Amino acid sequence: MTKAVIISDMEICASITYQTGAEHRRQANKVMKEVLNQANLTFGNISFVVATGYGRMNVPFADRQITELTCHARGIASIFPNVHLGIDIGGQDAKALKIRNGKLIDFVMNDKCAAGTGRFLEVIAAVLGLKVEDLGDISAKARTRVTISSTCTVFAEQEVISRLSEGVPLEDVIAGLHDSVAGRVARMARKLKIEPDVVFTGGVAKNRGIVTALEEQLGCHVMVPSEPLLSGALGAALLARDIVVQAIERHQPLPRGPLKLEETTFFQ
Amino acid sequence: MAWYMGIDIGSKTSKGILLKDREVIVKHLLISGVNYRLSAGLLTNFLLDQAGISEKDITSTVTTGNAETVVFSDEYITDIRCCARGMHQVFPQVRTVIDIQGQNSQVILTNSEGQVKNFVISEKCAGGSGRFLDIVANVLRVRIEDVGELSLKSKNPVIFTTGCAVFGESEAISRVAEGISKEDILAGVLKALAEKISALVNRVGLEEPCAVSGGGALNTGIISILEEKLNLSILVPPDPQFITALGAAIFAGEKSINEASS
Repeated sequence: MTKAVIISDMEICASITYQTGAEHRRQANKVMKEVLNQANLTFGNISFVVATGYGRMNVPFADRQITELTCHARGIASIFPNVHLGIDIGGQDAKALKIRNGKLIDFVMNDKCAAGTGRFLEVIAAVLGLKVEDLGDISAKARTRVTISSTCTVFAEQEVISRLSEGVPLEDVIAGLHDSVAGRVARMARKLKIEPDVVFTGGVAKNRGIVTALEEQLGCHVMVPSEPLLSGALGAALLARDIVVQAIERHQPLPRGPLKLEETTFFQ
Repeated sequence: MAWYMGIDIGSKTSKGILLKDREVIVKHLLISGVNYRLSAGLLTNFLLDQAGISEKDITSTVTTGNAETVVFSDEYITDIRCCARGMHQVFPQVRTVIDIQGQNSQVILTNSEGQVKNFVISEKCAGGSGRFLDIVANVLRVRIEDVGELSLKSKNPVIFTTGCAVFGESEAISRVAEGISKEDILAGVLKALAEKISALVNRVGLEEPCAVSGGGALNTGIISILEEKLNLSILVPPDPQFITALGAAIFAGEKSINEASS
Protein backbone atom coordinates (compact mmCIF):
# COMPACT_ATOMS: atom_id res chain seq x y z
CA MET A 1 0.00 0.00 0.00
CA THR A 2 1.09 3.60 -0.60
CA LYS A 3 0.09 6.11 2.06
CA ALA A 4 0.34 9.89 2.19
CA VAL A 5 -0.17 12.24 5.12
CA ILE A 6 -0.17 16.05 5.08
CA ILE A 7 0.24 17.83 8.40
CA SER A 8 0.09 21.47 9.35
CA ASP A 9 1.80 22.83 12.45
CA MET A 10 -0.63 21.12 14.73
CA GLU A 11 -2.67 18.43 13.07
CA ILE A 12 -3.25 16.01 10.22
CA CYS A 13 -4.90 17.85 7.28
CA ALA A 14 -5.37 14.92 4.95
CA SER A 15 -4.38 11.28 4.57
CA ILE A 16 -4.81 8.65 1.92
CA THR A 17 -4.05 4.95 1.33
CA TYR A 18 -3.75 3.28 -2.08
CA GLN A 19 -2.73 -0.10 -3.46
CA THR A 20 0.87 0.30 -4.62
CA GLY A 21 0.91 -1.79 -7.81
CA ALA A 22 3.96 -2.16 -10.02
CA GLU A 23 4.57 1.44 -11.10
CA HIS A 24 5.82 3.07 -7.94
CA ARG A 25 6.68 6.47 -9.37
CA ARG A 26 3.44 7.03 -11.16
CA GLN A 27 1.56 5.83 -8.11
CA ALA A 28 3.47 8.20 -5.81
CA ASN A 29 2.47 11.13 -8.01
CA LYS A 30 -1.14 10.03 -8.14
CA VAL A 31 -1.35 9.61 -4.39
CA MET A 32 0.25 13.02 -3.84
CA LYS A 33 -2.23 14.73 -6.16
CA GLU A 34 -5.15 13.04 -4.42
CA VAL A 35 -4.01 13.95 -0.94
CA LEU A 36 -3.39 17.58 -2.01
CA ASN A 37 -6.92 17.68 -3.43
CA GLN A 38 -8.32 16.33 -0.22
CA ALA A 39 -6.48 18.97 1.80
CA ASN A 40 -7.44 21.66 -0.72
CA LEU A 41 -3.79 22.58 -1.20
CA THR A 42 -1.36 22.79 -4.11
CA PHE A 43 2.10 21.27 -4.22
CA GLY A 44 3.50 24.77 -3.77
CA ASN A 45 1.89 24.95 -0.31
CA ILE A 46 3.95 22.00 0.93
CA SER A 47 7.12 23.05 2.77
CA PHE A 48 8.92 19.73 2.82
CA VAL A 49 8.34 16.15 1.67
CA VAL A 50 9.85 13.06 3.31
CA ALA A 51 9.47 9.70 1.57
CA THR A 52 9.77 6.40 3.40
CA GLY A 53 9.20 2.67 2.96
CA TYR A 54 10.45 0.20 0.34
CA GLY A 55 9.62 2.56 -2.48
CA ARG A 56 11.07 5.70 -0.92
CA MET A 57 13.61 6.09 -3.74
CA ASN A 58 10.75 6.09 -6.24
CA VAL A 59 9.10 9.26 -5.00
CA PRO A 60 10.28 11.81 -7.59
CA PHE A 61 9.15 14.88 -5.63
CA ALA A 62 10.55 13.98 -2.19
CA ASP A 63 13.04 16.31 -0.54
CA ARG A 64 14.51 13.57 1.62
CA GLN A 65 14.27 9.83 2.11
CA ILE A 66 14.20 8.39 5.64
CA THR A 67 13.97 4.68 6.51
CA GLU A 68 10.60 3.33 7.54
CA LEU A 69 11.99 2.21 10.90
CA THR A 70 12.75 5.78 11.98
CA CYS A 71 9.45 7.04 10.56
CA HIS A 72 7.41 4.32 12.24
CA ALA A 73 9.01 4.99 15.60
CA ARG A 74 8.29 8.71 15.26
CA GLY A 75 4.72 8.16 14.10
CA ILE A 76 3.86 5.65 16.82
CA ALA A 77 5.40 7.73 19.59
CA SER A 78 3.42 10.78 18.48
CA ILE A 79 0.19 8.90 19.17
CA PHE A 80 1.33 6.82 22.16
CA PRO A 81 4.08 8.77 23.97
CA ASN A 82 4.71 5.93 26.45
CA VAL A 83 5.36 3.30 23.80
CA HIS A 84 8.30 0.98 24.50
CA LEU A 85 7.70 -1.67 21.89
CA GLY A 86 6.25 -1.11 18.44
CA ILE A 87 5.15 -4.05 16.32
CA ASP A 88 4.43 -3.43 12.68
CA ILE A 89 3.08 -6.14 10.39
CA GLY A 90 2.70 -5.10 6.78
CA GLY A 91 2.20 -6.84 3.48
CA GLN A 92 5.90 -7.51 2.91
CA ASP A 93 7.50 -7.73 6.32
CA ALA A 94 7.11 -7.69 10.06
CA LYS A 95 9.21 -5.65 12.43
CA ALA A 96 9.53 -4.99 16.12
CA LEU A 97 10.88 -1.62 17.26
CA LYS A 98 12.31 -0.79 20.65
CA ILE A 99 11.41 2.83 21.29
CA ARG A 100 12.58 5.09 24.13
CA ASN A 101 11.41 8.68 24.44
CA GLY A 102 10.04 8.58 20.93
CA LYS A 103 13.34 7.43 19.42
CA LEU A 104 14.26 4.14 17.84
CA ILE A 105 16.81 2.24 19.98
CA ASP A 106 16.82 -1.22 18.43
CA PHE A 107 14.81 -3.33 16.00
CA VAL A 108 14.36 -6.82 14.57
CA MET A 109 12.64 -7.61 11.32
CA ASN A 110 11.65 -10.39 8.96
CA ASP A 111 11.48 -9.65 5.28
CA LYS A 112 13.00 -12.94 4.14
CA CYS A 113 10.01 -15.21 4.51
CA ALA A 114 6.34 -14.51 3.89
CA ALA A 115 5.27 -16.46 6.98
CA GLY A 116 4.49 -14.07 9.82
CA THR A 117 3.64 -11.19 7.47
CA GLY A 118 0.41 -9.87 6.00
CA ARG A 119 1.26 -11.70 2.83
CA PHE A 120 0.65 -15.01 4.58
CA LEU A 121 -2.92 -13.98 5.35
CA GLU A 122 -3.45 -12.48 1.87
CA VAL A 123 -2.36 -15.64 0.09
CA ILE A 124 -4.54 -17.91 2.20
CA ALA A 125 -7.55 -15.57 2.13
CA ALA A 126 -7.31 -15.56 -1.68
CA VAL A 127 -7.27 -19.36 -1.80
CA LEU A 128 -10.35 -19.51 0.41
CA GLY A 129 -12.12 -16.78 -1.55
CA LEU A 130 -12.26 -14.53 1.52
CA LYS A 131 -11.42 -10.86 1.96
CA VAL A 132 -8.48 -10.20 4.28
CA GLU A 133 -10.53 -7.55 6.05
CA ASP A 134 -13.11 -10.17 7.05
CA LEU A 135 -10.68 -12.62 8.66
CA GLY A 136 -10.78 -10.94 12.07
CA ASP A 137 -14.57 -11.15 12.33
CA ILE A 138 -14.61 -14.76 11.12
CA SER A 139 -12.03 -15.88 13.69
CA ALA A 140 -14.00 -14.18 16.49
CA LYS A 141 -16.59 -16.96 16.11
CA ALA A 142 -14.04 -19.74 16.68
CA ARG A 143 -14.73 -22.17 19.53
CA THR A 144 -11.38 -23.93 19.33
CA ARG A 145 -8.45 -23.34 17.08
CA VAL A 146 -6.54 -25.54 14.76
CA THR A 147 -2.76 -25.69 15.05
CA ILE A 148 -1.18 -24.89 11.69
CA SER A 149 2.08 -26.82 11.79
CA SER A 150 3.58 -25.54 8.51
CA THR A 151 5.69 -22.44 8.70
CA CYS A 152 5.89 -21.88 4.97
CA THR A 153 2.95 -20.00 3.42
CA VAL A 154 2.88 -22.38 0.48
CA PHE A 155 2.66 -25.45 2.72
CA ALA A 156 0.21 -23.79 5.12
CA GLU A 157 -2.09 -23.19 2.17
CA GLN A 158 -2.33 -26.96 1.61
CA GLU A 159 -2.64 -27.64 5.31
CA VAL A 160 -5.60 -25.26 5.52
CA ILE A 161 -7.30 -26.96 2.59
CA SER A 162 -6.74 -30.38 4.20
CA ARG A 163 -8.21 -29.22 7.53
CA LEU A 164 -11.27 -27.77 5.81
CA SER A 165 -11.78 -30.94 3.79
CA GLU A 166 -11.72 -32.87 7.06
CA GLY A 167 -14.68 -30.77 8.12
CA VAL A 168 -12.98 -28.41 10.58
CA PRO A 169 -15.04 -25.18 10.79
CA LEU A 170 -13.63 -22.26 8.82
CA GLU A 171 -13.49 -19.97 11.88
CA ASP A 172 -11.32 -22.47 13.80
CA VAL A 173 -8.90 -22.69 10.88
CA ILE A 174 -8.71 -18.90 10.53
CA ALA A 175 -8.09 -18.57 14.28
CA GLY A 176 -5.25 -21.07 13.85
CA LEU A 177 -3.77 -18.95 11.06
CA HIS A 178 -3.88 -15.89 13.31
CA ASP A 179 -2.05 -17.85 16.02
CA SER A 180 0.57 -18.83 13.48
CA VAL A 181 1.24 -15.22 12.39
CA ALA A 182 1.11 -13.84 15.95
CA GLY A 183 3.36 -16.65 17.23
CA ARG A 184 6.02 -16.00 14.65
CA VAL A 185 6.01 -12.25 15.20
CA ALA A 186 5.98 -12.65 19.01
CA ARG A 187 9.01 -14.97 18.88
CA MET A 188 10.81 -12.35 16.84
CA ALA A 189 9.75 -9.49 19.14
CA ARG A 190 11.01 -11.36 22.21
CA LYS A 191 14.54 -10.79 20.96
CA LEU A 192 13.87 -7.24 22.13
CA LYS A 193 12.36 -6.78 25.56
CA ILE A 194 8.57 -7.04 25.77
CA GLU A 195 7.78 -3.95 27.79
CA PRO A 196 4.46 -2.06 27.79
CA ASP A 197 3.17 0.06 26.23
CA VAL A 198 3.09 -2.22 23.24
CA VAL A 199 1.68 -0.62 20.08
CA PHE A 200 0.70 -2.63 17.02
CA THR A 201 0.56 -0.96 13.57
CA GLY A 202 0.52 -1.87 9.88
CA GLY A 203 -2.34 -3.22 7.80
CA VAL A 204 -2.48 -6.46 9.78
CA ALA A 205 -3.26 -4.48 12.97
CA LYS A 206 -6.75 -3.94 11.54
CA ASN A 207 -7.36 -7.64 12.11
CA ARG A 208 -8.73 -8.00 15.64
CA GLY A 209 -8.05 -11.74 15.57
CA ILE A 210 -4.33 -11.06 15.29
CA VAL A 211 -4.52 -8.37 18.00
CA THR A 212 -6.05 -10.88 20.42
CA ALA A 213 -3.61 -13.64 19.44
CA LEU A 214 -0.69 -11.24 19.88
CA GLU A 215 -1.94 -10.17 23.31
CA GLU A 216 -2.07 -13.81 24.38
CA GLN A 217 1.39 -14.56 23.00
CA LEU A 218 3.02 -11.48 24.51
CA GLY A 219 1.04 -11.64 27.77
CA CYS A 220 0.18 -7.95 27.78
CA HIS A 221 -2.27 -5.43 26.41
CA VAL A 222 -1.62 -4.36 22.83
CA MET A 223 -2.73 -0.92 21.66
CA VAL A 224 -3.72 -0.14 18.09
CA PRO A 225 -4.02 3.41 16.71
CA SER A 226 -7.24 4.32 14.90
CA GLU A 227 -5.37 4.44 11.57
CA PRO A 228 -2.75 1.69 11.94
CA LEU A 229 -1.63 1.91 8.30
CA LEU A 230 -0.64 5.54 8.51
CA SER A 231 1.95 5.53 11.29
CA GLY A 232 4.92 5.37 8.89
CA ALA A 233 3.62 8.15 6.66
CA LEU A 234 2.65 10.19 9.72
CA GLY A 235 6.15 9.74 11.13
CA ALA A 236 7.61 10.89 7.80
CA ALA A 237 5.41 14.01 7.89
CA LEU A 238 6.44 14.75 11.49
CA LEU A 239 10.12 14.35 10.59
CA ALA A 240 9.56 16.71 7.65
CA ARG A 241 8.11 19.24 10.09
CA ASP A 242 11.12 18.74 12.42
CA ILE A 243 13.45 19.55 9.52
CA VAL A 244 11.51 22.71 8.67
CA VAL A 245 11.34 23.85 12.31
CA GLN A 246 15.05 23.24 12.78
CA ALA A 247 15.94 25.21 9.63
CA ILE A 248 13.81 28.13 10.81
CA GLU A 249 15.33 28.09 14.32
CA ARG A 250 18.87 28.05 12.92
CA HIS A 251 18.01 30.64 10.25
CA GLN A 252 19.20 28.25 7.56
CA PRO A 253 17.64 27.75 4.12
CA LEU A 254 15.42 24.65 3.79
CA PRO A 255 17.41 21.75 2.30
CA ARG A 256 14.82 21.08 -0.39
CA GLY A 257 15.24 18.61 -3.21
CA PRO A 258 15.21 19.87 -6.81
CA LEU A 259 12.29 17.73 -7.93
CA LYS A 260 8.74 18.65 -8.79
CA LEU A 261 5.41 16.92 -9.05
CA GLU A 262 5.72 15.82 -12.65
CA GLU A 263 4.20 12.95 -14.48
CA THR A 264 6.91 10.33 -14.24
CA THR A 265 6.66 6.62 -14.75
CA PHE A 266 8.64 3.64 -13.75
CA PHE A 267 9.51 3.00 -17.37
CA GLN A 268 11.39 6.22 -18.05
CA MET B 1 4.35 -64.49 -14.78
CA ALA B 2 3.16 -61.89 -12.29
CA TRP B 3 1.96 -58.31 -12.34
CA TYR B 4 3.15 -55.68 -9.86
CA MET B 5 1.97 -52.12 -9.45
CA GLY B 6 3.62 -49.03 -7.98
CA ILE B 7 1.59 -45.88 -7.25
CA ASP B 8 3.28 -42.61 -6.29
CA ILE B 9 0.90 -39.85 -5.16
CA GLY B 10 2.78 -36.58 -5.41
CA SER B 11 1.66 -33.15 -4.21
CA LYS B 12 1.28 -32.06 -7.82
CA THR B 13 1.17 -35.19 -10.01
CA SER B 14 0.47 -38.86 -9.37
CA LYS B 15 2.37 -41.58 -11.17
CA GLY B 16 1.65 -45.26 -11.66
CA ILE B 17 3.72 -48.09 -13.13
CA LEU B 18 2.69 -51.61 -13.98
CA LEU B 19 5.42 -54.28 -14.13
CA LYS B 20 5.16 -57.71 -15.66
CA ASP B 21 7.83 -59.51 -13.69
CA ARG B 22 10.67 -56.96 -14.03
CA GLU B 23 9.57 -55.30 -17.23
CA VAL B 24 7.68 -51.98 -17.36
CA ILE B 25 4.49 -52.54 -19.36
CA VAL B 26 2.48 -49.34 -18.73
CA LYS B 27 3.13 -46.08 -16.98
CA HIS B 28 0.86 -43.11 -16.50
CA LEU B 29 0.89 -39.66 -14.93
CA LEU B 30 -1.99 -37.41 -13.93
CA ILE B 31 -2.57 -34.25 -11.87
CA SER B 32 -3.18 -35.20 -8.23
CA GLY B 33 -5.90 -32.65 -7.56
CA VAL B 34 -7.39 -32.50 -4.07
CA ASN B 35 -8.71 -36.05 -3.76
CA TYR B 36 -5.74 -38.42 -3.57
CA ARG B 37 -7.93 -41.48 -3.25
CA LEU B 38 -9.68 -40.57 -6.49
CA SER B 39 -6.37 -39.97 -8.33
CA ALA B 40 -5.08 -43.35 -7.17
CA GLY B 41 -8.27 -45.01 -8.38
CA LEU B 42 -8.10 -43.28 -11.78
CA LEU B 43 -4.45 -44.22 -12.17
CA THR B 44 -5.09 -47.86 -11.36
CA ASN B 45 -8.03 -48.09 -13.77
CA PHE B 46 -5.98 -46.56 -16.55
CA LEU B 47 -3.03 -48.91 -16.00
CA LEU B 48 -5.24 -51.99 -15.84
CA ASP B 49 -7.13 -50.91 -18.98
CA GLN B 50 -3.96 -50.34 -20.95
CA ALA B 51 -2.50 -53.69 -19.93
CA GLY B 52 -5.84 -55.41 -20.55
CA ILE B 53 -5.91 -57.06 -17.14
CA SER B 54 -8.15 -56.78 -14.08
CA GLU B 55 -7.40 -55.93 -10.49
CA LYS B 56 -7.26 -59.55 -9.36
CA ASP B 57 -4.39 -60.21 -11.80
CA ILE B 58 -2.13 -57.91 -9.77
CA THR B 59 0.03 -59.92 -7.41
CA SER B 60 1.03 -57.00 -5.26
CA THR B 61 0.75 -53.20 -5.10
CA VAL B 62 2.96 -50.74 -3.22
CA THR B 63 1.96 -47.10 -2.77
CA THR B 64 4.22 -44.20 -1.89
CA GLY B 65 4.23 -40.40 -1.60
CA ASN B 66 1.14 -38.84 -0.05
CA ALA B 67 -0.62 -42.19 -0.38
CA GLU B 68 -1.09 -43.07 3.29
CA THR B 69 -4.80 -42.54 2.75
CA VAL B 70 -5.05 -44.85 -0.26
CA VAL B 71 -6.67 -48.03 1.00
CA PHE B 72 -6.25 -50.71 -1.62
CA SER B 73 -2.48 -51.17 -1.53
CA ASP B 74 -0.69 -54.08 0.10
CA GLU B 75 1.95 -51.88 1.59
CA TYR B 76 3.00 -48.25 1.91
CA ILE B 77 6.72 -47.47 1.56
CA THR B 78 8.16 -43.96 1.93
CA ASP B 79 9.03 -42.07 -1.23
CA ILE B 80 12.63 -41.76 0.00
CA ARG B 81 13.11 -45.54 -0.11
CA CYS B 82 11.17 -45.94 -3.36
CA CYS B 83 13.13 -43.17 -5.05
CA ALA B 84 16.46 -44.74 -4.03
CA ARG B 85 15.29 -48.16 -5.21
CA GLY B 86 13.96 -46.86 -8.53
CA MET B 87 17.16 -44.98 -9.27
CA HIS B 88 19.22 -48.05 -8.41
CA GLN B 89 17.25 -49.95 -11.05
CA VAL B 90 18.10 -47.42 -13.75
CA PHE B 91 21.60 -46.38 -12.65
CA PRO B 92 23.02 -48.98 -10.22
CA GLN B 93 26.24 -46.97 -9.83
CA VAL B 94 24.50 -43.84 -8.42
CA ARG B 95 25.19 -42.95 -4.76
CA THR B 96 23.45 -39.54 -4.47
CA VAL B 97 19.92 -38.87 -5.72
CA ILE B 98 18.61 -35.30 -5.89
CA ASP B 99 14.83 -35.57 -6.06
CA ILE B 100 13.19 -32.28 -7.08
CA GLN B 101 9.47 -32.55 -6.47
CA GLY B 102 6.56 -30.20 -6.78
CA GLN B 103 6.60 -29.25 -3.13
CA ASN B 104 9.81 -30.58 -1.60
CA SER B 105 13.32 -31.27 -2.67
CA GLN B 106 15.24 -34.12 -1.11
CA VAL B 107 18.73 -35.48 -1.33
CA ILE B 108 19.22 -39.20 -0.73
CA LEU B 109 22.49 -41.07 -0.23
CA THR B 110 22.32 -44.73 -1.25
CA ASN B 111 24.58 -47.77 -0.95
CA SER B 112 25.53 -50.28 -3.63
CA GLU B 113 22.23 -52.14 -3.03
CA GLY B 114 20.09 -49.08 -3.66
CA GLN B 115 19.24 -48.80 0.05
CA VAL B 116 18.99 -45.45 1.81
CA LYS B 117 22.04 -44.46 3.89
CA ASN B 118 21.02 -40.93 4.70
CA PHE B 119 18.69 -38.24 3.43
CA VAL B 120 17.60 -34.66 3.93
CA ILE B 121 14.30 -32.99 2.94
CA SER B 122 13.46 -29.33 2.43
CA GLU B 123 10.24 -29.64 4.41
CA LYS B 124 10.05 -26.26 6.11
CA CYS B 125 10.16 -23.96 3.11
CA ALA B 126 8.85 -24.13 -0.45
CA GLY B 127 11.76 -21.96 -1.62
CA GLY B 128 13.77 -25.03 -2.63
CA SER B 129 11.00 -26.86 -4.46
CA GLY B 130 9.43 -26.88 -7.90
CA ARG B 131 6.64 -24.78 -6.44
CA PHE B 132 8.84 -21.66 -6.54
CA LEU B 133 9.32 -22.24 -10.26
CA ASP B 134 5.62 -22.91 -10.84
CA ILE B 135 4.69 -19.64 -9.17
CA VAL B 136 7.12 -17.53 -11.20
CA ALA B 137 6.38 -19.36 -14.48
CA ASN B 138 2.72 -18.58 -13.88
CA VAL B 139 3.49 -14.86 -13.42
CA LEU B 140 5.43 -14.87 -16.71
CA ARG B 141 2.78 -16.93 -18.51
CA VAL B 142 5.41 -19.51 -19.44
CA ARG B 143 4.64 -23.24 -19.51
CA ILE B 144 6.64 -25.04 -16.85
CA GLU B 145 8.09 -27.44 -19.42
CA ASP B 146 9.54 -24.50 -21.40
CA VAL B 147 11.31 -22.91 -18.43
CA GLY B 148 14.56 -24.86 -18.80
CA GLU B 149 15.09 -24.09 -22.47
CA LEU B 150 14.17 -20.41 -22.09
CA SER B 151 16.50 -19.94 -19.13
CA LEU B 152 19.45 -21.25 -21.13
CA LYS B 153 19.05 -18.23 -23.44
CA SER B 154 19.56 -15.77 -20.58
CA LYS B 155 22.56 -13.47 -20.83
CA ASN B 156 22.07 -11.62 -17.59
CA PRO B 157 20.25 -13.64 -14.91
CA VAL B 158 18.31 -11.56 -12.41
CA ILE B 159 19.52 -11.85 -8.83
CA PHE B 160 16.60 -12.71 -6.58
CA THR B 161 16.99 -11.10 -3.17
CA THR B 162 14.59 -13.58 -1.60
CA GLY B 163 14.56 -17.34 -1.24
CA CYS B 164 10.86 -17.26 -0.37
CA ALA B 165 8.50 -18.57 -3.06
CA VAL B 166 5.78 -16.10 -2.03
CA PHE B 167 8.01 -13.02 -2.05
CA GLY B 168 9.65 -14.39 -5.21
CA GLU B 169 6.34 -13.87 -6.97
CA SER B 170 6.26 -10.15 -6.11
CA GLU B 171 9.90 -9.82 -7.05
CA ALA B 172 9.24 -11.40 -10.44
CA ILE B 173 6.34 -8.99 -11.00
CA SER B 174 8.57 -6.02 -10.16
CA ARG B 175 11.21 -7.24 -12.63
CA VAL B 176 8.55 -7.64 -15.35
CA ALA B 177 7.45 -4.06 -14.67
CA GLU B 178 11.05 -2.95 -15.16
CA GLY B 179 11.02 -4.54 -18.58
CA ILE B 180 13.47 -7.36 -17.83
CA SER B 181 13.19 -10.36 -20.15
CA LYS B 182 11.46 -13.60 -19.18
CA GLU B 183 14.66 -15.49 -19.90
CA ASP B 184 16.66 -13.46 -17.38
CA ILE B 185 13.96 -13.72 -14.71
CA LEU B 186 13.61 -17.49 -15.15
CA ALA B 187 17.37 -17.99 -15.05
CA GLY B 188 17.37 -15.97 -11.82
CA VAL B 189 14.71 -18.18 -10.24
CA LEU B 190 16.61 -21.29 -11.23
CA LYS B 191 19.72 -19.86 -9.61
CA ALA B 192 17.83 -19.17 -6.38
CA LEU B 193 16.40 -22.69 -6.49
CA ALA B 194 19.78 -24.28 -7.20
CA GLU B 195 21.19 -22.33 -4.25
CA LYS B 196 18.69 -23.97 -1.89
CA ILE B 197 19.15 -27.43 -3.39
CA SER B 198 22.93 -27.32 -3.25
CA ALA B 199 22.65 -26.24 0.40
CA LEU B 200 20.67 -29.44 0.97
CA VAL B 201 23.32 -31.48 -0.85
CA ASN B 202 26.01 -29.95 1.33
CA ARG B 203 24.05 -30.78 4.47
CA VAL B 204 23.95 -34.48 3.72
CA GLY B 205 27.28 -34.71 1.89
CA LEU B 206 27.78 -35.69 -1.72
CA GLU B 207 28.91 -39.05 -3.04
CA GLU B 208 29.43 -39.49 -6.76
CA PRO B 209 27.95 -40.44 -9.12
CA CYS B 210 24.95 -38.19 -8.68
CA ALA B 211 21.59 -38.38 -10.44
CA VAL B 212 18.45 -36.29 -10.39
CA SER B 213 14.81 -37.38 -10.33
CA GLY B 214 11.34 -35.88 -10.00
CA GLY B 215 9.61 -33.30 -12.19
CA GLY B 216 12.46 -30.85 -11.61
CA ALA B 217 14.79 -33.19 -13.48
CA LEU B 218 12.96 -32.35 -16.72
CA ASN B 219 14.31 -28.84 -16.39
CA THR B 220 17.59 -28.66 -18.29
CA GLY B 221 18.25 -25.18 -16.91
CA ILE B 222 18.35 -26.22 -13.27
CA ILE B 223 20.52 -29.23 -13.99
CA SER B 224 23.15 -27.17 -15.75
CA ILE B 225 23.23 -24.65 -12.86
CA LEU B 226 23.47 -27.47 -10.31
CA GLU B 227 26.28 -29.12 -12.28
CA GLU B 228 28.15 -25.85 -12.26
CA LYS B 229 27.55 -25.20 -8.56
CA LEU B 230 28.43 -28.72 -7.41
CA ASN B 231 31.20 -29.04 -9.98
CA LEU B 232 30.24 -32.47 -11.30
CA SER B 233 28.09 -33.95 -14.04
CA ILE B 234 24.63 -35.14 -13.09
CA LEU B 235 22.92 -38.18 -14.58
CA VAL B 236 19.33 -37.76 -15.75
CA PRO B 237 17.32 -40.97 -16.14
CA PRO B 238 14.67 -41.29 -18.85
CA ASP B 239 11.26 -40.37 -17.40
CA PRO B 240 12.68 -38.94 -14.16
CA GLN B 241 9.19 -38.32 -12.75
CA PHE B 242 8.52 -42.06 -12.65
CA ILE B 243 11.60 -43.11 -10.65
CA THR B 244 9.75 -43.25 -7.32
CA ALA B 245 6.77 -45.13 -8.78
CA LEU B 246 9.22 -47.54 -10.39
CA GLY B 247 10.85 -48.16 -7.03
CA ALA B 248 7.42 -48.83 -5.51
CA ALA B 249 6.56 -51.34 -8.24
CA ILE B 250 9.91 -53.12 -7.76
CA PHE B 251 9.30 -53.30 -4.00
CA ALA B 252 5.89 -54.82 -4.77
CA GLY B 253 7.64 -57.52 -6.79
CA GLU B 254 10.36 -58.19 -4.19
CA LYS B 255 7.79 -58.34 -1.41
CA SER B 256 5.68 -61.03 -3.05
CA ILE B 257 8.76 -63.06 -3.99
CA ASN B 258 9.99 -62.88 -0.39
CA GLU B 259 6.57 -63.90 0.89
CA ALA B 260 6.38 -66.80 -1.55
CA SER B 261 9.80 -68.11 -0.49
CA SER B 262 9.17 -67.79 3.25
